[in-house]
Amino acid sequence: MLFSLALKNILRSKGRSIITLLLSTLTTILFIIYVAFMDGSHHQFIKSSVEIYTGYAHIDLKGYRDDSGYENLIEDADRIDKILKNDSSIKEYAPRFETYVLLSGDEKAVGSLLAGIVPSAEKALSKLQDSLIKGEYLSDRDTNAIYLGSDLAKRLKVDVGSEIAMVGSSIDYSIAADLFTVKGIFKTGLFEFDSQSAFVNKSYLDTVMMSDNIASYFTLNFHDNDRIDKMTATLQSSLPSEYEAVNWKTLLSALVQAMLVDSIFGYISISIFFVVIFFVIMIFSYVNIYTRAREIGLLRALGLTSKNIFGMLFTEILLLATVSLVVGTIIGASIAYYYELHPIVISGIAETYKEYGVVSDEVPMHFDLFTIAWNALTIFMLNIAAIIYPISKINRLTAMEAMRYV
Amino acid sequence: MKYLLSLLLITLSLYSNEAQNIIKKLEKNLRGDYMYATMKMIVTSKRGKRTVKIESWSKGNDKSFIKILYPKKDKGITFLKIDNQMWQYIPKIERTIKIPASMMLQSWMGSDFTNDDMVKESSLEEDYRAKLLSKKGNSATLELIPREDAAVVWGKIIIDVDLKNAVPIKQTYYDDRMKKVRVMTYSKIEQHGTHRIPMVMELKPLDANKKKNRTKIIFEKINYDAKIDSSYFTKHALKRYSR
Repeated sequence: MLFSLALKNILRSKGRSIITLLLSTLTTILFIIYVAFMDGSHHQFIKSSVEIYTGYAHIDLKGYRDDSGYENLIEDADRIDKILKNDSSIKEYAPRFETYVLLSGDEKAVGSLLAGIVPSAEKALSKLQDSLIKGEYLSDRDTNAIYLGSDLAKRLKVDVGSEIAMVGSSIDYSIAADLFTVKGIFKTGLFEFDSQSAFVNKSYLDTVMMSDNIASYFTLNFHDNDRIDKMTATLQSSLPSEYEAVNWKTLLSALVQAMLVDSIFGYISISIFFVVIFFVIMIFSYVNIYTRAREIGLLRALGLTSKNIFGMLFTEILLLATVSLVVGTIIGASIAYYYELHPIVISGIAETYKEYGVVSDEVPMHFDLFTIAWNALTIFMLNIAAIIYPISKINRLTAMEAMRYV
Repeated sequence: MKYLLSLLLITLSLYSNEAQNIIKKLEKNLRGDYMYATMKMIVTSKRGKRTVKIESWSKGNDKSFIKILYPKKDKGITFLKIDNQMWQYIPKIERTIKIPASMMLQSWMGSDFTNDDMVKESSLEEDYRAKLLSKKGNSATLELIPREDAAVVWGKIIIDVDLKNAVPIKQTYYDDRMKKVRVMTYSKIEQHGTHRIPMVMELKPLDANKKKNRTKIIFEKINYDAKIDSSYFTKHALKRYSR
């Protein structure tokens, strides 16, 4: 009986119902989109940083991350290579040998990271090849060819075809020196990376540094990078105890923390929005209910208890909130899904925020059903909570008081 | 009370003067106008042991020229230090490279010394304020705190001195947070001309990751008396004397 009464009330006062529906539906949509956009931009930041060079996971000797000197190198890279080759969860992997050297053009010497990479394997593991802006990317047969970051090339005052001298330390700590010709120049957009990194074919660099069968670490991608924690833990169990498998969450922990802080601030701002929404709904419901005071008084006079009245009004809002929950979720989720596939392009954002690791003008939304579900339920609960006070207030009036209420 | 206080101040100032005099004497003994030396540097690390043979020429505290004699792979590599700047010549690529400031804290030739150690004309007397901590017979312990305007990387140095020979026995280096970071010990004192010199120096970093590391320098020949031609202290010398 209460349900049909509530339904009748909703259908009879169309204007009131539509406004309530619109208010909660729009709030649901807005909240879902806001969170999808925030998560999407965070994912984009991390994805850029991970995919440009770091990679989804590394295998290194325990202690290497604290002291990346020559004392913590993988001394038997072939052994790790074999383990990785036989691991079906790994999509692609490659060893890297990283060292700090002095690079010198004609005039100036600059301290830089020099990494020996397997050029063909890196195509799938990093964005090094995609970031080429001049000359050519490295090949597996290159010898004295070097691939330089654009800002490093500027600092050294060199261009494609220029000769540069490299002085570093071999792994036996004798001096390693060689001359290289700039084969290509890349620009990833990460300023620090572009101004301090140079790459050489690993098989050649190994002859200069005496690092044959030695690697600083292996970088790898899993088939299922979304379940990275589980994948990393499984991989760890197949490694000899002196090695560790770490994923991007650890490798880029500073960035992950920065994103977390940003999310917290995001939620703080959205909670202010919640407070506003809560009061808007409450005031709106309050006004609505009090305009129906005479009607409610009449119902009480006809024999309905205050409990019945509470039930009727609560059912009304429950029905409206459920409809807006469903409609809002469908629309919000569709928008999030669409913009995940077709990211919003904000031209100039990469240029403005390049030092924060933004390398693309595209900002996708993040479509995640769990997040969408809790977002929608939060607004639903907010709707319900906002109605409790007005209902309980009107229920305190007696039938006569309510009927005389102006 | 006043009397006691002034007595204390006088004693303190006498102590600090005494400490400063010890450092002065020490530096005078160790430093000559010119110095020629050949030495062996033994670097021990987790990766094993490595010996480098070095020939060096220096003038005062701010000009020096170093040539690597051994291992064969590094033979002929030369270093020139003038004031706070350092250049390096590598015969294999026939290039002279100036070591930039950003690389100054990198290890020198894989040893526990940094490029900065090689370059800094750290004069204990000029850069530090000395305080006598203890004195017993011929040995004393001093605390050296950097002067406000001194460009040094250490928070303080504790130095044990052999007063009779005016040579250091042990130097403990602290960083700016007063954490012990490395210890240098000196031994095998020999007379060379008017100078008494510790012929063996050993540097040991105290970092937990470098437990096995140490760098030992053993002087083989040392000569304070011969004047060194000024041509050694020019950039041309890097290539010229590399052979």
